[in-house]
Amino acid sequence: MTEVILHKPFARLRFTRGARIWTVAIVLALSAVFIPAVWAQKEVTSKTYRSREREKSTGRYEQYEAKPRLYQPHIRDPRPRAELITLAPTAEKVRFRKYLADSHVGLRFYERRTCVSCHPQQARSLHAVRAKITCRQCHGDEPIAGNSHYNSLMHKRRKYAFVCAKCHKGSSPSFATYRIHEPSPLSLTTQKTFPVLFYAFWFMVVLAVGTFAAFIPHTLSWGLREFLPPTFRLEIRRYLPGKKKNNAAD
Amino acid sequence: MLLKRFNRTQRLSHLFLMLTFLIQSGTGFGRLFITTDFGRSLCKIFGGYEAAIVIHFWVGILMMTGFTVHIVYLIKRIKRRDLVNSVMGPDSLVPGPQDAQHLFQRILWTMGMGSPPKLDRWAYWEKFDYWAVFWGLPLLAVTGVMLKFPLLTTQVLPGWTLNIAALLHRAEAILAASFIFIVHFFIGHIRPLSFPMNEAMFSGSVHLEEAMQEKPLWVERLKQEGKLEMMKAERPALWYRALYFVFGYSALGFGLYILINGIVYGRFIQLH
Ligand code: HEC
Ligand code: HEC
Ligand code: HEC
Repeated sequence: MTEVILHKPFARLRFTRGARIWTVAIVLALSAVFIPAVWAQKEVTSKTYRSREREKSTGRYEQYEAKPRLYQPHIRDPRPRAELITLAPTAEKVRFRKYLADSHVGLRFYERRTCVSCHPQQARSLHAVRAKITCRQCHGDEPIAGNSHYNSLMHKRRKYAFVCAKCHKGSSPSFATYRIHEPSPLSLTTQKTFPVLFYAFWFMVVLAVGTFAAFIPHTLSWGLREFLPPTFRLEIRRYLPGKKKNNAAD
Repeated sequence: MLLKRFNRTQRLSHLFLMLTFLIQSGTGFGRLFITTDFGRSLCKIFGGYEAAIVIHFWVGILMMTGFTVHIVYLIKRIKRRDLVNSVMGPDSLVPGPQDAQHLFQRILWTMGMGSPPKLDRWAYWEKFDYWAVFWGLPLLAVTGVMLKFPLLTTQVLPGWTLNIAALLHRAEAILAASFIFIVHFFIGHIRPLSFPMNEAMFSGSVHLEEAMQEKPLWVERLKQEGKLEMMKAERPALWYRALYFVFGYSALGFGLYILINGIVYGRFIQLH
């Protein structure tokens, strides 16, 4: 067999100079097409929101002056992330409001606040974020009964019929065990409230981290190594004590 | 001299997987990121949020059909007479102990110790790329079908399995796409030996010197078996070469577009 030929980085680059320039030009042009989307995001996604902020108007202004977007504007308001109400498994045991016909009875300033200001966690569900379904479309109007109140529409006996089936026709009790307000798989309490979700999540994390921890350093260092001449050798011996003489003899 | 490496069926399979995978990433990540500008512009390519899921579903079916056809092809390629050699031999993609050894040698070599592994026809990273599909595709297919037919699914399974299905579907999609857009693209495009593009999968052939440098055992084996002359391939036509360069770079650009934006906008989405 012929001896392995000299190490040749870019051996595949059998191109004329013109072709090389063209390749670079195409790459640059492609990045020009793709990258700007990154900068395009603004702090406030809605144009109308900002124009309202600057000038008070009748509200008609935005309809005529600013072209509405294809999708509803997603306004990223800073939402409280801390929970006002702990719904942790330990707290679960002492919560009594979930059995009340009006779970908010006697709460001060209830009328003046939005649902999300007190229940930030619940606003992060697929239904709210993606389908823009409001809390009331599921929880109904006042009074909002506790989910475990026997006659609540949200009671698991009738939730599937009175709530889910409004939109998901043919929904069954089994279907209604889908967790609308999924607990965050990152939190430790999920290990108790929804163990399968917790372990599925960490399984995928371990899988991904394992794959990338193995492949990214491997591939990158391999790519870098191909830049070095084939004669590159790590002379460990040189650094070992007592072997200096040998080295000098080499 | 050019050495034949992939036949037409294999190249078509790769092209098929490439196209369907990119469409699935476009429609899938478009929907996942729909609350951001990135997701909306991605979905717009496919006709919006609602249209994207229709495409996503049917291309998924197409993908699974292709996968089934591939399995039939795979079974047909096994030679009954020569079972052990055709399954475990050097022409097979089934991983063996020598792959672990090659990986080890490669790591040592990148650190400047020893010589590069003497690879045969399929290198360990190629085998990994190949078999990763066998874990990813069925998982995505099963969870995808579950989410597409939630009412039917919950007649058999409890509803909370949909939470799990959604989580697995997204996590696996992110894992697969980032693996392809980072590791696979790096090996195929950016690594000095393949830069600007590893053409083997499109032209079907590799240069002999390159093969000797990267897959010495394979070339040696071909020589011993006297097959080297038989494996001689034609140079791809210039127009064809230009075509797949543009195509390959478009795929690369699209992948990087999703990758970069996905990282930038990652904090605005959630896995569940
Ligand atoms: C002033 C803050 C506040 C606001 C505003 C508020 N809630 Fe509540 N909500 C609470 C508290 C406190 C509880 C009792 C939690 C407990 O039992 O530990 C509760 C309980 C609930 C429950 C019952 C929980 C269970 O486990 O059964 C539901 C459902 C609910 N809220 C929905 C809503 C909806 C929908 C809105 C908006 C219309 C809303 N809340 C607005 C504070 C608030
Ligand atoms: C698609 C229907 C739906 C929507 C929309 C919805 N909820 Fe719920 N909510 C439920 C169901 C069902 C439960 C019972 C527990 C579960 O499935 O997670 C629940 C439970 C709750 C609870 C009890 C604690 C918990 O997490 O289990 C609170 C509080 C609550 N919802 C508040 C809200 C608020 C605030 C909103 C609006 C941002 C909202 N919900 C929107 C269906 C909905
Ligand atoms: C007001 C209408 C409405 C109600 C009420 C409602 N949903 Fe939904 N649901 C939707 C919409 C719209 C989607 C699609 C969201 C998306 O993917 O953008 C959806 C999606 C889902 C999905 C995900 C299915 C998939 O293919 O990804 C599940 C599971 C689900 N809903 C369960 C429920 C359950 C359980 C209830 C009852 C507690 C419920 N929904 C109540 C409108 C509703």
